[in-house]
Amino acid sequence: MKNIVIIGGGPSGLEASAQLHKMGYNVILVEKSPVLGGHLAKWDRLFPQGIPAKEVLEKMVSQINGVKYFVEANVQSINLLDKSYNVILDNGITVLADAVLFTTGFDLFKAQKKEEYGYGIYERVITNADLENWFRTKEDNRVVKDPKRIGFVHCVGSRDEKAGNRYCSKVCCATAVKQACEIKQEFPDAQVYCFYMDLRMFGRGFEDMYLSAQKDYGVRFIRGRVSEVAENIDKELVVKAEDTLSGKPVKVTLDLLVLMSGMQNCPDAVKVAAQIGVAGREIDGFFETKDSIYSLQNSTKPGVFFAGACTGPKTLPDSLHEARAAALAIHNYLTEKK
Amino acid sequence: MRERIAGGYDDFVIPFMIGMCFVLIYLAVALIRLFAHIPPKDRIKFFKSLVNPAIMWKNVKDILFDCLLHVKIFKRNLLLGYMHASIAFGWFMLILIGHIEVALYVPQRNGVLYYPVFFRYFVKFEGETTLKGSFFFFLMDFFLLMVLTGVGLAMYKRFRSRALGMRRTTKPCFADRVALACLWSIFPLRLLAESFTAGIAGGSFLTKPMYWLFNNFLSNDMHILPTWWAYSTAIGLFMLALPFSRYMHIPTEAFLILLRNAGLKVTKPRKGFAEAEIYSCSSCGICIDACPMNIQKKNLPFSSVYFIRFLRRNNIKKMNQIAQKCLMCGKCVALCPVGVESCGIKRAQRATIYNNIKHDYTYLHQAHHTPDNTTQESNNKILYFAGCMTHLTPSIIKNLTGIFESSGTEYIFADKDGGVCCGRPLILAGREDAAKEVIARNSQMIQESGCRKVVLSCPICLKVLKEEYNLKGIELLHHTQFINTLIEEGKIKVKRGAESLVYHNPCELGRGCGIYKEPLNVLQQLGELKKAEKEGKESICCGGSLGSITLSYEDRGKITQGSLDALTVNNPDKIVTACPLCLKTFADKSSRPVIDIAQIVNENIC
Repeated sequence: MKNIVIIGGGPSGLEASAQLHKMGYNVILVEKSPVLGGHLAKWDRLFPQGIPAKEVLEKMVSQINGVKYFVEANVQSINLLDKSYNVILDNGITVLADAVLFTTGFDLFKAQKKEEYGYGIYERVITNADLENWFRTKEDNRVVKDPKRIGFVHCVGSRDEKAGNRYCSKVCCATAVKQACEIKQEFPDAQVYCFYMDLRMFGRGFEDMYLSAQKDYGVRFIRGRVSEVAENIDKELVVKAEDTLSGKPVKVTLDLLVLMSGMQNCPDAVKVAAQIGVAGREIDGFFETKDSIYSLQNSTKPGVFFAGACTGPKTLPDSLHEARAAALAIHNYLTEKK
Repeated sequence: MRERIAGGYDDFVIPFMIGMCFVLIYLAVALIRLFAHIPPKDRIKFFKSLVNPAIMWKNVKDILFDCLLHVKIFKRNLLLGYMHASIAFGWFMLILIGHIEVALYVPQRNGVLYYPVFFRYFVKFEGETTLKGSFFFFLMDFFLLMVLTGVGLAMYKRFRSRALGMRRTTKPCFADRVALACLWSIFPLRLLAESFTAGIAGGSFLTKPMYWLFNNFLSNDMHILPTWWAYSTAIGLFMLALPFSRYMHIPTEAFLILLRNAGLKVTKPRKGFAEAEIYSCSSCGICIDACPMNIQKKNLPFSSVYFIRFLRRNNIKKMNQIAQKCLMCGKCVALCPVGVESCGIKRAQRATIYNNIKHDYTYLHQAHHTPDNTTQESNNKILYFAGCMTHLTPSIIKNLTGIFESSGTEYIFADKDGGVCCGRPLILAGREDAAKEVIARNSQMIQESGCRKVVLSCPICLKVLKEEYNLKGIELLHHTQFINTLIEEGKIKVKRGAESLVYHNPCELGRGCGIYKEPLNVLQQLGELKKAEKEGKESICCGGSLGSITLSYEDRGKITQGSLDALTVNNPDKIVTACPLCLKTFADKSSRPVIDIAQIVNENIC
């Protein structure tokens, strides 16, 4: 029986595990955190329809019955032996894998790097992930009791050469619109602002979500980047931005500011991949695929595959498609290898 | 000692005389042209400086130490310093002693240009060796040997520059190569010529043994004249190539010292004072290793030395390209042995590129920028001016105001609700006229505040406030200086942490404002201070500099990484800096925490 090691137990890893397991392969899934699900496990609801993340995750986890998985496990070393990869985990387990699938996903851009937005410095600045966590748990001291004015800053660490990330993180626009509507549901009296560069509502139902945010929720969209944020004596946030449509500077005082952190490749994954000569693309840091159209699941090395956000920002459905495509690519590879 | 050749002339001096006359005429014309481009006010300033005893003394001292002894290069690398000093000082002494000899022995030839150079050919040594005679023979041989060792080192440096402390050297242009070949051959030829003639004209420890040696197999005198011809031709060719080669720095450098000591500044990128600077560049290439951009080999052609070369050639495209790319970190200026202010010239060059942009400053007069809480008593308070960059790094504001409060310092936050740019970015872009508008607005704000002391947390602002603002009687302090005083006066007490620190010296603070001691003083009391690879005035730009207009973020990223690598050679726990721009730039790339000095002080107040 062929062994397949899947690194990363987020949505892509779970879906690929389930598919490969059904095909009859021996799948070993490695997850570094204590629970499966990756970012999905920390999310509350999903755009565009607001389906609870928990529901989707439960469905995925139910599919992986019979898959061997390790949580709180990291790949300690990986190296090529003849035609298979010797994978050693830090919990002492060694696997001789016929194929390795990276479903290592993404890390959120560290918002404190954009110091001018004051994350970690001002009390009432949070990120998109913090807000999802608050939606789930309602526990976060930074979210004040009855905020009157709330702002969302798009493209934090995305499309920002100074922050080192020139690319678009793809999902933050839709997430911001979703979260703006949701927070308006929580605080109907609050005025919600979105500071955006341009809105990339590319997916099915996204544009409707955006129109509804304006019509039904009265979210105010201001086109222009936030230049800086200051805190006043009452711990309110004074946000300076430019409204590029009217060509005028704007200054608003807010009770809560949400930063839409973008996606970056996982540094841990990069370290593991480097051991077998698989590298990130210099321009954006995400893994280099065999080509950019036809073989997106293949790496530049035989037997090493990718699925999900480790090759660039992706929506959840995109990642799931890739996981299934990767399962098929691995199956083809192992069949031809015989 | 008496004249051997009647009339004191031989045809072989012709090549030398052609070269010499050419250079003298060229220099005279150049000097007149240069003066024509110096503003009349500066011209008067210059002539007055020549009779000012203090400046005169400084001139003599600078010329001796910088042009002849090359003390600055000695401080960098002993061998490299010896190479430069031996050629310059040795050659100078050969010329000087040559003239003394002529004056002493054949006074009738005083003032004949070629005579001291070919002295040994024209004279005959008679009778007993006097002490005086052998003294001069000894000196001449000694200095010739000195120059020869220098030339030998220069040849060695061509092949192994690292041995002389230089990773990279300048690529010579055609005229440089011609002049270089001549220069390298002048002194060996002189040695040969003088050795062959030593039997007639006498010699010392070097030329005499050479004469005996050669006499063993070259017994006739037929080869004497051709060597003198070769020697004269080498000098003549060198002189002809000199104005077009880097060796133009030999006559210009001394003149530059006079101009600089008179207090003149660059006004135009290629004329007047700048011209003196341009021609003083010896193309030594120390600026190539100094430039932070050269962490990538592709940036080598953007080094200051090539900028100067293109200025000489008036290659406008290249001049603009380099002027716009430069980070203006000032490291090449700080390390330049001649002190060529290439950043000033680059600014002047930038002014020629962007002079058609119109700025609209009406908003300056509409907005209310004076801090609200100024009162009659505010002259006891300090004025804190954060500047745009500090507003992008709120941690500095938070910690510095924290220090103000802990130390009981009464302060007015000048630009709490937003202020006007200090003007430095405009000045760096060569837009001094535009900068004047914001400078006037801010000067007015500071004066109206009534405060006598301004504290700034951004060295970029500090530099422009110090240099361009008219703030007589108002003390300007960087926050590192202010914190240092607070600690020294006991107004705050700090405890020593267990962490090891490394200090990054921001360009605008160190090289820009000359503030090196205070931050180190403060940090020494906070933790174990580790050394960086390059410190003080050799500190490497963080890569974020506002100075560069065209450098891409990728290239900046490489500089940042290089600078971080140099900072962390001794594996410190934290990197401390004192400039919001450095802080932001490093924080993006560093695996270690990067913090401002205000933060570490505020966190360690007890």
